[in-house]
Formats: sequence, C-alpha cells, structure tokens
Amino acid sequence: MMLTFNRQTLPFRTEFVVAGTRCVLATNSFEVLQSAAEWQQETDLCRSASFEMEMFVDSAMDNRVDQATFFRGHRHLVFALLPPRSFVTYDLLRRRVHGALSVAAARDCFFWNHLLLPITIGVLGTTVGVVPLHCACLDYNGNGLLIAGVSGAGKSTLSAAMAGYGFSFVSDDWTYVSKEGSTLVAHGLSSWVKLLPDTVRFFPHLRYLAPRTTLNGELAYEIDPSRTEGFAVQHSSHPRRIFFLERTSQSGCYFVPCRPDYVRSFFEKSAERLPDELVQAKAFRTSIIQTLSSCAAWILRTGESPQKTAEAIGDFVTGARNATV
Amino acid sequence: MPRYESLHYANPIDLLRRFIPTPLKALFRVGSVHVRVRTNDITLLPVIPLEADLEDLGVKSWEWRLIRDADSPGLLEPPLFITSGALTIVRMGPACLIGADREKRELLAFIGRAIDTRTHRDVLIPLFCELTSEIFSTSATLAFAGWNEASINE
Repeated sequence: MMLTFNRQTLPFRTEFVVAGTRCVLATNSFEVLQSAAEWQQETDLCRSASFEMEMFVDSAMDNRVDQATFFRGHRHLVFALLPPRSFVTYDLLRRRVHGALSVAAARDCFFWNHLLLPITIGVLGTTVGVVPLHCACLDYNGNGLLIAGVSGAGKSTLSAAMAGYGFSFVSDDWTYVSKEGSTLVAHGLSSWVKLLPDTVRFFPHLRYLAPRTTLNGELAYEIDPSRTEGFAVQHSSHPRRIFFLERTSQSGCYFVPCRPDYVRSFFEKSAERLPDELVQAKAFRTSIIQTLSSCAAWILRTGESPQKTAEAIGDFVTGARNATV
Repeated sequence: MPRYESLHYANPIDLLRRFIPTPLKALFRVGSVHVRVRTNDITLLPVIPLEADLEDLGVKSWEWRLIRDADSPGLLEPPLFITSGALTIVRMGPACLIGADREKRELLAFIGRAIDTRTHRDVLIPLFCELTSEIFSTSATLAFAGWNEASINE
C-alpha cells in the first residue's frame, strides 16, 4: 500500500489554532475537516503557520491489525501507532505531521480531540512554540495556578477537588505553555481527568463508572471535565502561581515559599530530553521555564484529603489564610 | 553477560527509545552511494560490499541508523509506504518502522526482536538500499508495497 501526500491526493485544506499555535491541515476526508472545525473558532489568521498536518484517510487501514498505542523516535522523526488502526509520523525539523488514518479514526471525534491533537502538541511541542509541562492548571479569577509534583503526588486528584471548589479546570496531567508577547499562556487540550481507583474514597460518585486502561497502561477512572457537574472548564489561563505538591503523613497543609531556581530546576529536570538537532527548541523551552520561574511559587506539603487541601489553597490565594494552615 | 548493553536498553524516561546507543559502526557501498551504518546489534550489519576508502565520504554518503528494538513485538506486516516531499516512511507493524530522509540523507529503522537475520537480509536490506538509491524509484517501491504478509515472513 503506497500513499503519496500532495495537493492532488489531499485536496481539502483548512486551518485552526490549537494551544496558541496555528496548524494548516490538508486531508482527503470530510470527517477530518469536521473534527478540525471545533478548533477553528479560535483561528487567528494573522498568525503565521506553526505546523502542517497531512491526514490521509484510507479504508484499507481499517483492514489492518489493530494495535495498542506505540511510539518510537530518533533524531527529528517520531512514529506513532494510534488506535484505531492509524499511523502518524512527526517530522520535528520541518514541523510536519503525516498520518494514515482508518475510517474509524476519522469518524471518531474522541480520537481527534483527546488523542491525536494532544499527542501532536506533546510531540511537536517546543518546535512549534509550545512547551509541554508535566503539571495541572486551574484558574481563579483570571489567574492561573499550576500544580506540579512528581508522578503519584496526587496532582489529578487535587485538580478534581479544586474544580469542585470553585476553580476553573484548564488541564490535568499536561499543560501546554506558550508566549504571547511577554505573557505566558497555559493551555489545556480537552484532556480527561484521570483518577486512580483508590481515589473513589474521595469521590464516591466514581463508583458508578468503570475504570479503564489508559494510554500508559494504568487502570483509572477517566472523567470528562466538560460534562462533570460542578466543573467549570477554561481552555487557557495566565499562570501566576505555582504549587509543588508533596504528600506527607503529618496533618495540615503547609505552604513553603520557594525560589526561582527551584522552579527552574524542577521543570528542567522533568522535561523530556530533546535530540541535539533541536537546538532552537531547547533554547525556547529554557526561556519559557526562565519566565515561569518569576511566578510566585510554593512547596505545598499536605497530609489532608484533596478536598481539604483544595479548600486550603482557595483560602490561601484569596488571602484568607497564611502560609501555615 | 549480555552481548551488548544497548540491546537491553530500558531507560524509563526515554519512552520513544530516542537515545538508544548505537555503538557499532561500519562503512558500506550501495551502488555509487557510501553508507555509514550505525547499529546496536551486529546481526543488523548488512552483507554488502564494505567501503574501505574513508577519505572518499563526500556528499553522496548516507547514514543508516538500524536499531534493534528488544521491546517491539511481532513479525513484519504488509508494508504501508507514505511519501511526502523528501521523506519516505514505511510501516511494517510495530516490528519495523522506517524513515528515509533524502534531504538529510538519513535512514532510520526500528527493527523488532522477532525479525531474524534472514528476513533482515532478504527483505529489509534490499528495501533500505532502494530507499537510499540515487534515483528513488516509486515503481520498485510499489513492488515492495505489493508484498503480502506470507511472502515477507515465509
């Protein structure tokens, strides 16, 4: 099977903005155009194109063996096998995405919104002016709060609790940070909140859902924040404060101020290692992290439930409580 | 004792296997093209004429990066070729993913653990040579594209 991507084989064109970066999409499929339409509301035509997507839909792909999500990459090329029966390649130097999609994938908005686009921004990331950071983001009155921490610290659980406490939900596990002028913008990408099975003790309504195996193989409840009662959702925010979450066995919540070099070191260490070819991308990421390090930041040590911790953060940011709660 | 540490590469933060070491190097000649092969598995070095003239590695040299991917399961699947500009991508299932960049003169291949030496020699090396050839031939590649699963794993 041979697919040649050019203007004849991919006659339909559109453009849209995702995570503050502009994409030019070429495809042979109306379904793909329709999926992209959801993101066109944000289109800013003054912006120059950051990357190109070429998406070829072929019914022959539907006859192939389905596979679990699988990634490999080297230098400027990254390969992704994505269910259902689709294959996507990322060229990080030329900022192009080539995809052979099954009809099933093309018809599935979930595939486009919750798999393909977040993965695309995650992989291209720094090469297109967006830095993926491993943290959650919530918004309070136009001010963004980033919740960072090592894997397993409870970022998702705390984010879900905060969304139920009056904060607007922007992102759960990954936040995509771009720069508009000198201002940082933190974007979410319609990702679902992933809650591990043991969090059912904090969110009893999860009992009515069935946990699923997620992309990284974990068993978890996945909830769509836009369809969750009591959750307000925002696509972006301006990060002003950063909390580094640490669980302790001691009761109480403690906010310990931390210095810019702590912020820099944390995000540099947790960032994906980039190949040597991507010198500019590395420099861009460093500049974003440098700017981010000027935000007010605290280490948040908590031995309380997610709800109590969310309440403490709420009180802290509104000035109702001081650093030791 | 493992043959090569890089065959047992399991860096938990390098999920894409982007930085897998390829310590074995050799120079070959494919027609008029010089090829520098780097790999982590000696069985992936091709059985084609070696190039001894190290001085002559000029603009016509290519680099093949052949990575034995111990974590990739399965056998070769019928190939899917994608060509766009200078890039040709070949997907033969998780067991074999190939990217050939004619502008940068680089070929990258991830080759799964179950791909044996004979399949590598008889199927993959001719394909790499084809992708590397000066006049990239769509018709020859179509011949590969027409192969079915039985013919490539028989």
